[in-house]
Amino acid sequence: MRFEGVWFRYARRAPWALRGAEATVEAGRTVVVLGPNGAGKSTLLQLAAGVLRPVRGAVRDRPAVVGWVPERFPAAQPFTAIGYLRAMAQVRGLPPAAADPWVERLGLAPHAGTALTDLSKGTAQKVGLAQALLAPPGLLVLDEPWEGLDAASRTLVPEIVAEVTGGGGAVLVSDHRGEIAGLPDAEHWLLTDGELRQAPEPCPSATAGRAAGEPPRAGERTAGEVAADDVVVEVVVRRHEADAAVVRLRASGHRVLGVRERSATAEEPR
Amino acid sequence: MIALARMRTAGFLRSGRALAPLVAVLVVLSVLHGGAASPPASAYGYSAAALFAVLAWITKLVLDTEPDVQRRLARVAVGGLREAAAGLLAAAVLGLGVCLLAMLAPIPFGGIRSPLPGSGEPSTAVGVLLGVLAHLLALLGALALGALSGRAVTRRVLPGVAVLVTGSVLTVVLGLRGSIAPWLAPPVMATARALSEGTAPAAGVLLGLAGWALLWCAAALALYARLRRGRS
Repeated sequence: MRFEGVWFRYARRAPWALRGAEATVEAGRTVVVLGPNGAGKSTLLQLAAGVLRPVRGAVRDRPAVVGWVPERFPAAQPFTAIGYLRAMAQVRGLPPAAADPWVERLGLAPHAGTALTDLSKGTAQKVGLAQALLAPPGLLVLDEPWEGLDAASRTLVPEIVAEVTGGGGAVLVSDHRGEIAGLPDAEHWLLTDGELRQAPEPCPSATAGRAAGEPPRAGERTAGEVAADDVVVEVVVRRHEADAAVVRLRASGHRVLGVRERSATAEEPR
Repeated sequence: MIALARMRTAGFLRSGRALAPLVAVLVVLSVLHGGAASPPASAYGYSAAALFAVLAWITKLVLDTEPDVQRRLARVAVGGLREAAAGLLAAAVLGLGVCLLAMLAPIPFGGIRSPLPGSGEPSTAVGVLLGVLAHLLALLGALALGALSGRAVTRRVLPGVAVLVTGSVLTVVLGLRGSIAPWLAPPVMATARALSEGTAPAAGVLLGLAGWALLWCAAALALYARLRRGRS
């Protein structure tokens, strides 16, 4: 699927939310869209899913079956969890029973008969995840899929992503909390103020989560390799922004030497 | 598309939003048929005209019941065109239910009488058929007006209500005898007049009214489709 010079704004006089996005998502690949709040991540994802139409440019070669998990599941509907998923299966042209395996797998069985309005945020998010997977998607678009999920359920997301990409599908996922550690082979796109940039090469992930004292990964140069005309700038960022910062620095042509816990920075300001 | 229409109909009926328009339908029908009995064509012609605004309101309510994000999920699942068509189908099915209620309403009230001998009035059977036609023509226009006032088009609540109220009022005002631009509105009032003239309207008149209603509905739905394309 390709973004060809995609421009988007929500109203005629509104500022552009996305400016001239050019990018390709290969089948079988995972793309993580990074960026601060309000950078246009959800907009880009909705354009990819076909929820929004580009004002200029086009999104081409979108797979026939798209699964979209919105940032917030619309729980204000007069259905039970199982009733909703069965109805959505029928909307997709599947038998109602197609919903049942996902109810089991996502641990929704104890809440199957609960009204959507009475579900907790995390459980409602799982219903949102299940409806996107009823038909095996050629493109799966996940907007902050970890939001509201408990620790046990968080591992489900990388599992499902691996299954979709393993089946030849593409996955587009946004994240601002540094959960991408679970998606090791993902490509990274960076959105800032509606400008989309691709990280030059797939970044080694899990940088934000790496423990102090762990050796740098293969391919990363160590501090010893700093050339004579280089200077080393130490930067402190918030934990959840670490991945985005690394991607941004690399996208600007800088070399990131390593990421470490604050406790490891023994040196006091000189 | 049918599964989506069924899901939306169920959502609308379970949400409790059907209650207010149902009360409105019952009030309109009891006021219309509660008085002296009329020939069937005339009674049904005016019942169709009076129900036009309620049918448009029901259409808007059906289309507005589900949250915006759910509408987008449906769009991702079945595509934009079928998502929009499923909404109209759900509204049409519920509208047909209201029309059926309107056709049966004169029975308990004794609101229709047999044709007077020698008056040239159409028979009861023909009058009922004309009534069915009048309600179907009103439903066509109401579906299109209700769709244009839906939140998917107007985005916010107040403009949607404004479109619905203005459209309903203009349908009556522009449909009055001697109107300068009757074709701007669906032929609800013209149909009611044609059916209350005593004798059965000529086939040409009926065809003209049906063509007018279909054209108006097609134009309004084309506008709806165009407005929906740029909005999610």
